[in-house]
Amino acid sequence: MKLTPNLAAFLLLVAALAAGGLVPVFVASALVMTLLTQAAISAVLATGVGILLRQNGVVSFGHAAYFGIACYTIGLALRHKVMATETAIILALVIPTALAFLLGLVIVRIPGVAFSMLTLAVGQAFHEFALKARPITGGEDGFTLAFPREIFGIATATFQRPHSAWVVSWIMLVVLLYLLHRMIKSPFGRLTAAIRENEERARFIGYETVVPRALIYALSALIAAIAGVLFILYNAFVSPETLFWVLSGEALIMCIVGGPRLLLGPALGAVVFFFFKDVMGDITVHWQGAIGITLIVVTVLLPQGLGGALVKLGARWRAGGAGG
Amino acid sequence: MVEDFAVQGIDIIRRFGGFSALDTVQIAVPTGEIRGLIGPNGAGKSTLIDVLSGRADDWSGRVLFHGRDIGGLSVQERRSLGLARSFQRTNIFPDLGVGEQLEIAARKAEIRNVDEVAAELGLRDLIGARAADIGYGDQRRLDLALALIGRPKVLLLDEPAAGLSMGESLTLARLLKDLAARWKVTVLLVEHDMDVVFSICDRITVLHLGKVLAEGTAEEIRSIPEVVKAYLGSAA
Repeated sequence: MKLTPNLAAFLLLVAALAAGGLVPVFVASALVMTLLTQAAISAVLATGVGILLRQNGVVSFGHAAYFGIACYTIGLALRHKVMATETAIILALVIPTALAFLLGLVIVRIPGVAFSMLTLAVGQAFHEFALKARPITGGEDGFTLAFPREIFGIATATFQRPHSAWVVSWIMLVVLLYLLHRMIKSPFGRLTAAIRENEERARFIGYETVVPRALIYALSALIAAIAGVLFILYNAFVSPETLFWVLSGEALIMCIVGGPRLLLGPALGAVVFFFFKDVMGDITVHWQGAIGITLIVVTVLLPQGLGGALVKLGARWRAGGAGG
Repeated sequence: MVEDFAVQGIDIIRRFGGFSALDTVQIAVPTGEIRGLIGPNGAGKSTLIDVLSGRADDWSGRVLFHGRDIGGLSVQERRSLGLARSFQRTNIFPDLGVGEQLEIAARKAEIRNVDEVAAELGLRDLIGARAADIGYGDQRRLDLALALIGRPKVLLLDEPAAGLSMGESLTLARLLKDLAARWKVTVLLVEHDMDVVFSICDRITVLHLGKVLAEGTAEEIRSIPEVVKAYLGSAA
């Protein structure tokens, strides 16, 4: 059988799923599994920010909004007992996606820094609302949730115990990356890459360019919302922190560290960021400074991020091998 | 018999502040003709192409495509009717493969003639290459190829030979003339290279300071003293 790129990606998906499933067998520490789970959830969020950067070529400082809206949709639905958890989860994915699409139809027309500032403004507006609407949202204290015993027929504990939560988050991350890979290789993915490269040319060969860009924006919001759902299922707690720009900024740092042009880059960046943050947090209270310095070093020395550097190394290694 | 014009600009006016880039310009290109559009820098040639192709805002007048008023249509709608253009500056997708971007263009076109266009423009061997990595002349041909995918009815070319060597320019000119005849494409060609213009254009329109100064065959244009003085000089 010939190893086509699609078959290779599928085999990689199966291998990654199997490898992730084996991790809890070999790692007994709940602390490590907690870190891994949090890293996987952050990787999903970073992938959302990364796909926007990769396909639309724009930077979002406001993706925490979609992460947080997903969290609050479930949180408020359960707190005020207005619907079943399963319905709330579905809405937690639909609402941010639809909102992002409608917003995207307007803001994707705005280039560069202005776009980024708009995303920041929109994100912060939701954060402010969560802070100020105390009777509804619990204000800055946030609130804890009491989930039912089962969600979609799966024991809720599966989403909350570190070992099983890791498996759930990992499966979600890997399947998501596989589907995004297929999207990037699809005609739609190629078209959005072309629009990113030269929107005017795309228009002059006959393509409508706003809707595809808005769809990518909505897709990236959906991914952020998936991260939000995983987060709240795992933590059973929601606060305005989930909407705060710092979360968006961290996701962006993960993208840059991992390499935004590589699909796996943001996820790689998330894992590195998370463990680096944990290690540096044990050493110094000024861990943010260490992350800042790392970001500068990576940006200057590895403009394509760690992922880009690994791809280059791999290419050099293959070229060396081919050359004997 | 009423002549069938592929593209017409009627009373086209475009101003930038107090400056008239186009001042009641009239142009009518019959179907099947290769029309040259020449004039000194700032004459309004690219502005006229922008108006005809739908790129320009804030202009007045009428643009007709085979008799249909397309002045209110978007760039995409004009392209779907068969009005394509190339650009003064190479306008491709630099980070995409040559074949990949031709395929993207073909997906939107009724006639998916990727192989045909690639072969005609000598891009076959570059199909797998990244556009940013190919030579400048190849990029110019790729730009033209993106416009030619789907066999448009009208092609607006804004200095397709800019930056090419004399040999490359003349080769491109011959190719254009040949394709226009075989694919029945009407061409409006903005070009500073007079060898290219005089060798392939059926008729030539001269723009000067936003107005049509003259129109005629190459011989007629060469013999008009105002044109020689305003633009042609020694090229005549």
